[in-house]
Amino acid sequence: MLKYIAKRFGQIFILFYVFLALLFLLLDLQPGDISQQFVGNPNIPPEAKEIMVRQLGLDQPKIVQLGNHLWNYSFGMDMGVSWSSYPREVSDILFSALPRTVFLFLTATVMSFWLGFYTGKLVAWRRGTFIEKSAMVTSIFFWTVFYPWFAILMLWFFASQLGWFPIGKFISVEKWIGAPYAADDVFMLMLGTIALVTLVYGVARYVIDRSSDDPQTRRNFHRLALWSLAGIAGAFWAFSARRTYAGDILWHTFVPVLTLTLVNFAGTTLLTRSSMLETLREDYILTARAKGVPERTIRDRHAARNAMLPVTTSLVLQLAVVIAGGVITEQIFSWPGLGRALLGAITAEDIPVAMGALALIGILSLLAHLVADITYAFLDPRIRVQG
Amino acid sequence: MAQTLHIESRGGRVGTPLLEVQNLVMHYGTKEGEVSAVDNVSFTLNNGEAIGLVGESGCGKTSVALTLLRLLPDNSVIKGGDIKLDGESLIDLDEEQMRRRRWRDISMVFQGAMNSWNPVYRIGDQIREALRLHWPETLTYQEETDRIGALFELVGLNPVTMERYPHEFSGGMRQRAVIAMALSCNPKVIIADEPTTALDVIVQDQILRELKKIQQELGMSIIYISHDIAVIAEVTERMGVMYAGKLVELGSTLEVFHRPRHPYSYLLLSSTPSITGPRRKLAPLEGEPPNLLNPPTGCRFHPRCPFAIDKCSSEEPGLVEVGEGHSVACWNWQEVPEIGGLQK
Ligand SMILES: Nc1ncnc2c1ncn2[C@@H]1O[C@H](COP(=O)(O)OP(=O)(O)OP(=O)(O)O)[C@@H](O)[C@H]1O
Ligand code: SF4
Ligand SMILES: [Mg+2]
Repeated sequence: MLKYIAKRFGQIFILFYVFLALLFLLLDLQPGDISQQFVGNPNIPPEAKEIMVRQLGLDQPKIVQLGNHLWNYSFGMDMGVSWSSYPREVSDILFSALPRTVFLFLTATVMSFWLGFYTGKLVAWRRGTFIEKSAMVTSIFFWTVFYPWFAILMLWFFASQLGWFPIGKFISVEKWIGAPYAADDVFMLMLGTIALVTLVYGVARYVIDRSSDDPQTRRNFHRLALWSLAGIAGAFWAFSARRTYAGDILWHTFVPVLTLTLVNFAGTTLLTRSSMLETLREDYILTARAKGVPERTIRDRHAARNAMLPVTTSLVLQLAVVIAGGVITEQIFSWPGLGRALLGAITAEDIPVAMGALALIGILSLLAHLVADITYAFLDPRIRVQG
Repeated sequence: MAQTLHIESRGGRVGTPLLEVQNLVMHYGTKEGEVSAVDNVSFTLNNGEAIGLVGESGCGKTSVALTLLRLLPDNSVIKGGDIKLDGESLIDLDEEQMRRRRWRDISMVFQGAMNSWNPVYRIGDQIREALRLHWPETLTYQEETDRIGALFELVGLNPVTMERYPHEFSGGMRQRAVIAMALSCNPKVIIADEPTTALDVIVQDQILRELKKIQQELGMSIIYISHDIAVIAEVTERMGVMYAGKLVELGSTLEVFHRPRHPYSYLLLSSTPSITGPRRKLAPLEGEPPNLLNPPTGCRFHPRCPFAIDKCSSEEPGLVEVGEGHSVACWNWQEVPEIGGLQK
């Protein structure tokens, strides 16, 4: 298992460099170079232009430029300086946008996977009923809907018609005037809580699994661990002075997370359904029936557990779409994340920021692939041993 | 403790009737019409006995097995007849009662048992699942493990391999483990549907021999199902021959092999040289089994039967006793010649 993870890790490491180099070449293949932007500007004297070219290293051979680029990205931790908000560092801009994007998409992905899997499972089980048909129609609607239109519709409904939720943005600025905390810090603390709970839960599960042989006992302790951790975290926030601010952030996340969840869950539902129908035809399902396993257990422990495998694979394939959709999502909901930074940078011809945003998006999708691969290996013993 | 390790049959006194199948009729509903897959099948399985069902592919052997466990697909209808286990009708049980009987009273080794294992769980845990569902007392985890170990040893597997996943087992091992699982709850009846068909001949032979040994030692009652009469000859005491959803001959295995009375049995046997001595080119079995959507009138075998007489295409023969515990459904059974019996 460790070998498998190490191997996958090595692969994505190499892939990342290939991706970086490709990015560089793509931008370099564009007609002209960065200095051309200044050619038409009569206010810049030719000597200044020459200095600029030298400073930017554009007089160097391409291969040296590429080397510098890769070096700066990996070891220098340096993505350069933004042109449109000079002299802010690119990394400064992007690293404050990154957690917001990760939060939005991670939450939506986890929720849509859970929801889609659950619906798909039930729908396949109740094949031919009215429930199945209506769930199918709904899923196909969400699956085929023109996403920007739907996002605007959601905003219109929840923010404008009902007035329950804000029209986009990450925080309501007026509530934060004179606030003793920075929004980013509160947000990071929230993310930190989630990460810590997940981590401790993972460790607890590991310990529980090692110390008991009985599946039922294990399940009970898993549940106990999860609920007590959630309770502690909840109590921490309930008594924290930051809670109103955290509430404000959560309030802003609602509509974008819901929208993303709705459009993504449909695909998972449809896929789970067909995967589940296929699994139900397997011989081991008949064996389980012959064994007198109750129907619910057959559905959940035998069929759904296996139907999950192809769904996990597709989750990875969907990622590219989700990330591409990120730009649109963040734009529509004025969500200050990576996608929005990328779009802003492109509009402002701010190449360093655009490049940095693309690189981070690349890292994110590669990491997501890795996570999905590891999850898959955990789910499927046949993958686990192959290494 | 010792009790939990004891593997035996929970059936009654050897020789008394255990499972009685009476006039069973089962149809599959399809778009084109009704498939008459089991038509008026009756037989009895006694305690401690191994009986066989033989017939060409598609003649309804698996359908009979699935009907006994009431595990049929949704499009099937049991039209009539009764299945009695220890005198109690299984047809009358509701689904929940039936579920509790499955595996505990009647377990099954499936056709293509290679795929009978759920790929994501350990072999041992899948047997454990059966024990948790049906074992009369609750066992501790360790007791369960001990019992699974004992079952593994019985079928010739190393108990440590119960920690493995199905893909880490060879075909033969998986098949042995399936047999271990079928024995796990001390069932009254085991149905073995093509238990060795997917295996190579050597492994097939080993497993059959061990199965037979286990069956005799534990006093198990087993129904073997196979299209391969060599398998049936090796492991059963009595056998039934099925053709197109019907049981056409029923008798002791030795008797049927020595002197088949139904033309179909006769042709089936004489075209299998390995058991009945050198092949005699008397009359080869020609043609295909009929489509069960609309089976032939009269005797279902008449389009292929070299012994057919006028009456065969219009009137259906019933099972009649032609000897001690030997019955046949044929108008012209007297004409069927002797074969010469088993050459084991
Ligand atoms: N679910 C179903 N719906 C309709 N017809 C079916 C169904 N299952 C089986 N049949 C038909 O019923 C008949 C008997 O099938 P069955 O599987 O019982 O035969 P079998 O003797 O076990 O054959 P084999 O040796 O190939 O396993 C076949 O003609 C088959 O096509
Ligand atoms: S009843 Fe007639 S057709 Fe049928 S098997 Fe006997 S002889 Fe052949
Ligand atoms: Mg069959």
